Amino acid sequence: MLSLTFKNLWARKWRSLMTAVAVIFGIALVAGTYVLTDTTNQAFDQIFNDSLAGTDVVVTAKSEVDQQDGSTPSFSAKVLKEVKGVDGVKQAAGSIFTQGAILDKDADSVGGGFAPQFIASTGPKIFDAVTYPEGHKPTGPHEATLDQAAADRAGLGIGDTIQLIGSGRAVPFKLVGITQLGGSSFGGTSIAAVQLPVAQALTDKRGQFDQISVAADSGVSPEELRDRIAKVVPKELRVETAQENADRNASEIKDSLQFLTIALLAFAAIALFVGSFVIFNVFSITVAQRTREFGMLRTLGASRRQILRTVLIEGLIIGLVGAILGIVVGFGLAAGLSAVLKAVGAELPANSLQLLPRTIIVSLIIGVGVTVVSSLIPAFRSTRVPPIAALAENLVVGGKNRVVIRTVIAVLLAALGLILIATALISGKDGGSGAAQIGGGAVCVLIAISIFAPKLVTPAARILGAPIEKLGGLTGRLARENAQRNPSRTAVTAAALMIGLALIAFVTIFASGLSSSVNKVIDDQLPGEITLQGTGGILPFPAGAIPVVQNVDGVEAASGVRFVSAKVDGKTAAISSVDPADIVKVYTVEWKEGSDSDLTGLKDGQLVIGDKLADDLGVGVGDSVTLTSQKGRKFKFKVSSIMKTDSISLAGEGIISQNSMARDFNQKSDAVGLVKLDPGADLDKTQTLIEDTLKAKDFPTVDVLNQGELKDQQKSQINGLLAMIYVLLALAVVVSLVGIVVTLILSIYERTRELGMLRAVGMSRRQVRRMVRYEAVITAVIGAVSGLIVGVVFAFLIGIPLSGDGFELSYPIGTLIVILILTALAGVIAAIYPARKAAKLDVLEAVSYE
Amino acid sequence: MESTLAAPDQSQSSESPIVKAVGLERIYGEGQAEVRALDGVDVEFEEGRFTSIMGPSGSGKSTLMHILAGLDKPTAGIVEIEGTDITHLDDGDLTQLRRDKLGFVFQFFNLLPVLTAEENILLPLSIARKKPDQEWVDQVIDRVGLSDRRDHRPSELSGGQQQRVAVARALVTKPAVLFADEPTGNLDSKASEDVLTLLRGAVDEVGQTVIMVTHEPDAAAHGDRLIALRDGKLVHDAPPVSADNVIELLKTLA
Ligand SMILES: Nc1ncnc2c1ncn2[C@@H]1O[C@H](COP(=O)(O)OP(=O)(O)OP(=O)(O)O)[C@@H](O)[C@H]1O
Ligand SMILES: [Mg+2]
Repeated sequence: MLSLTFKNLWARKWRSLMTAVAVIFGIALVAGTYVLTDTTNQAFDQIFNDSLAGTDVVVTAKSEVDQQDGSTPSFSAKVLKEVKGVDGVKQAAGSIFTQGAILDKDADSVGGGFAPQFIASTGPKIFDAVTYPEGHKPTGPHEATLDQAAADRAGLGIGDTIQLIGSGRAVPFKLVGITQLGGSSFGGTSIAAVQLPVAQALTDKRGQFDQISVAADSGVSPEELRDRIAKVVPKELRVETAQENADRNASEIKDSLQFLTIALLAFAAIALFVGSFVIFNVFSITVAQRTREFGMLRTLGASRRQILRTVLIEGLIIGLVGAILGIVVGFGLAAGLSAVLKAVGAELPANSLQLLPRTIIVSLIIGVGVTVVSSLIPAFRSTRVPPIAALAENLVVGGKNRVVIRTVIAVLLAALGLILIATALISGKDGGSGAAQIGGGAVCVLIAISIFAPKLVTPAARILGAPIEKLGGLTGRLARENAQRNPSRTAVTAAALMIGLALIAFVTIFASGLSSSVNKVIDDQLPGEITLQGTGGILPFPAGAIPVVQNVDGVEAASGVRFVSAKVDGKTAAISSVDPADIVKVYTVEWKEGSDSDLTGLKDGQLVIGDKLADDLGVGVGDSVTLTSQKGRKFKFKVSSIMKTDSISLAGEGIISQNSMARDFNQKSDAVGLVKLDPGADLDKTQTLIEDTLKAKDFPTVDVLNQGELKDQQKSQINGLLAMIYVLLALAVVVSLVGIVVTLILSIYERTRELGMLRAVGMSRRQVRRMVRYEAVITAVIGAVSGLIVGVVFAFLIGIPLSGDGFELSYPIGTLIVILILTALAGVIAAIYPARKAAKLDVLEAVSYE
Repeated sequence: MESTLAAPDQSQSSESPIVKAVGLERIYGEGQAEVRALDGVDVEFEEGRFTSIMGPSGSGKSTLMHILAGLDKPTAGIVEIEGTDITHLDDGDLTQLRRDKLGFVFQFFNLLPVLTAEENILLPLSIARKKPDQEWVDQVIDRVGLSDRRDHRPSELSGGQQQRVAVARALVTKPAVLFADEPTGNLDSKASEDVLTLLRGAVDEVGQTVIMVTHEPDAAAHGDRLIALRDGKLVHDAPPVSADNVIELLKTLA
């Protein structure tokens, strides 16, 4: 029996392979994701290990509150002396490693997209982890080195001038060395190194270190030295062995990459979910077509269990083949994904692609699991074929659907989904958890719709097929009848497409809602005309730029906003500080309790708190709260007033004075600048003037954007993300199109006789092709229309709780129509092969076919 | 070669019949649409005999055969095979019964296109996970005249050859009863003759019991006994004399 299964599979190898395609894509994404993240993680492990060559113990400052840019606090250089005094220390040196900007002499960034740029200090030879393929270490205060990849990217070589920005103005340096760290690539990250005092000055960390590296005397273990040093340094410092430090850094990066893994796996799950519909359909059709064969096997004494087993083993083998091919494709996909990430400016470091056993095992389990589970229902249906089916002359293929059970399951699922959605809406849960609950409800409803779908196919085909019938006459009519004749088959095929399109419609609507919400925030909160930010919103905003802008002709007010992440009574929140003099000219606060005078008169030690945070903490005006800084210091603040905060509040969840920010949180750099022009000043001219003035004063990394450009920039970021999501959802759509192809081919095979008859009575090959094509289009359009409807409805439902967060939906009708048309075209493409196959049938053979 | 066969002695006719049906009724549909496909049929089949079932179209031949073979359940009445009531067996026991006691030959040969002729013949054994008795298998294949076609696929065989494969497949398990529903319905007269000779041979040489539904007087003439149905009732039961004689009989029935 087992060999029979293999032979059957082999005889239907094309069908089986196409079925396997249903899992190949999903598995490829699973495997690709793992390969990509494993490769990245491995690269980071190596980078951190390489960079600590020669180092035994590392001293850094603890970070009590994680900052958005991932920076850690620096600490007093005095600690070095104490460290050097510890018994067993052979050598110790402080160093700087701080985010900044690296530019060529024309002030163009050397950087790769969104990846950060760092300014580092050089130190004693013993701690030098880098090699110099060209040039040498900086030997004077005007010399710098650059990592090989960045130099290659920017086309820089020894002797060229580069400009570095730590905090403040750009400073020119002569490039004297190209560095390489082990064999690792940093991805898009760039690192420039200068002498220690230079680095301290550049980054405004005079008398400070980001890190102290320690080498141990021989015979002293890193662990022992660590413990000794820990005894003499202040409590807020962390002392680790080099290994511990490398592991911690690597694992922090891994944690932050986790979201990428989860997001990619979510798309893999979608593709597999769609694939399971295709598999289900192929197995259902195959089982129906093999009714007589199963009946015959039963008359020969095959038990139900044997029949079940043959079908399940087929599923298992198809799943296995799909998973293996998926792993192979996934390996290539990982390379492709990292190319895509590089293209959108998020290049990840990579050495050689990592294929861990875990990747293979997980892929195999999922691939086989999904296929076998999807074939379960058809497999059980095959066991219900009675032996007498072998003798039946006219086989009713398809068999009885368990209408009652199906309806009950569908109703229960739909009810569950609706309850989930409704309770989320009624309980007024807003933000993430509400949306998650509604999303879960949506999945239930989606499956329920798929179960109900056969009932909807007939009316849907009638409505959507009407224009085609008009267009195509008899062939159109037959196409529609064919689409309708096996409603559950068409329904499952269309449902697979529906899922992908529902998601596409959903994210399209959401992204457009996000764009318009951002625009609204810009309109509502920024009364000024111009916004200043670090280049691309990626490079840090230089200190000292705001006063320069203030003095430009035509500028009425320019005000910087600084940010820090702090704990407010234990709850992490983004806190901003503003310049009280001008802030109300450039930033509009909606007050809950208080007025603009609370902002202009903001004193040190006072906090303007966001309403949401105030509610969470249960504090009101006059209460006092404790703010914890990154270094773990605690400060008392008095709530002076309460502002309304939308989901995107440009002032974070609290505002403190500029002084408090500098003194208590050591934040002296602005994150953005807001500018209001003199009434009557010409926008274009003033904007150009600001740009030129900033360049002239060595602030080349400031983007000067008017409101329109700011909106466009935000929109293009959202659209970049959207494009990436489209690409990933396209996988699911391709899987469902493969579903259309397979289903059509199987249906044609089933209708061989009928097609022969049609040809015998005079239908031309062209007409046959057209008939098949129309059927594909009808199926695709049913899927597309239902998908778009489902997507719109869900976007609407999920938008309700989010509207409390200032999110408003907008419906990009044009885009949705384009999607609909593209799907219909995809249907035509899906029909190419089946149509040709149908048209090629030999009339005589088709008629005499048994 | 016949001499080597361990066949039950034909002359030693057993007391109890191998298949026995009592008071069989089969009603399709309800009320207005009610059809009495079988209307009180009592019939017995003895071991080692070749019985043909005839009758006009719609008289209930197929229905009777299905019920005798346990493929369908009667509305009333019972069927016993080798003394066991099969009308109340569950699916598992019926499966076992088919493996041990029943063989089938269909009008549409129902071979698996993916298997070779020999593999098709061995299929019932591999389903039951029984080791084939190679000597017997060779004999059966030889008997059906397909020794040089063992490795051919059904698509490479003529209709007559395909049906001979089907007969070999039914014989290979040495079933207590072999059921055939219009086995020659799709064959020309030469191929029909081959198949019928085979069935006859199995009865004569190894004492196989055969029950065959047919429309063709020539085919029926190969049997030891001819029973005829009309409107679901048994109307004739006698040895066939000749084909002409059968045609006469059919005329009276029609
Ligand atoms: N599944 C069914 N549902 C309803 N009526 C049926 C069914 N199967 C058979 N019948 C009816 O039962 C009667 C006997 O049918 P049966 O197939 O046994 O006839 P038959 O003698 O084999 O005919 P033929 O020589 O044409 O094969 C016929 O009237 C037929 O219409
Ligand atoms: Mg019949």
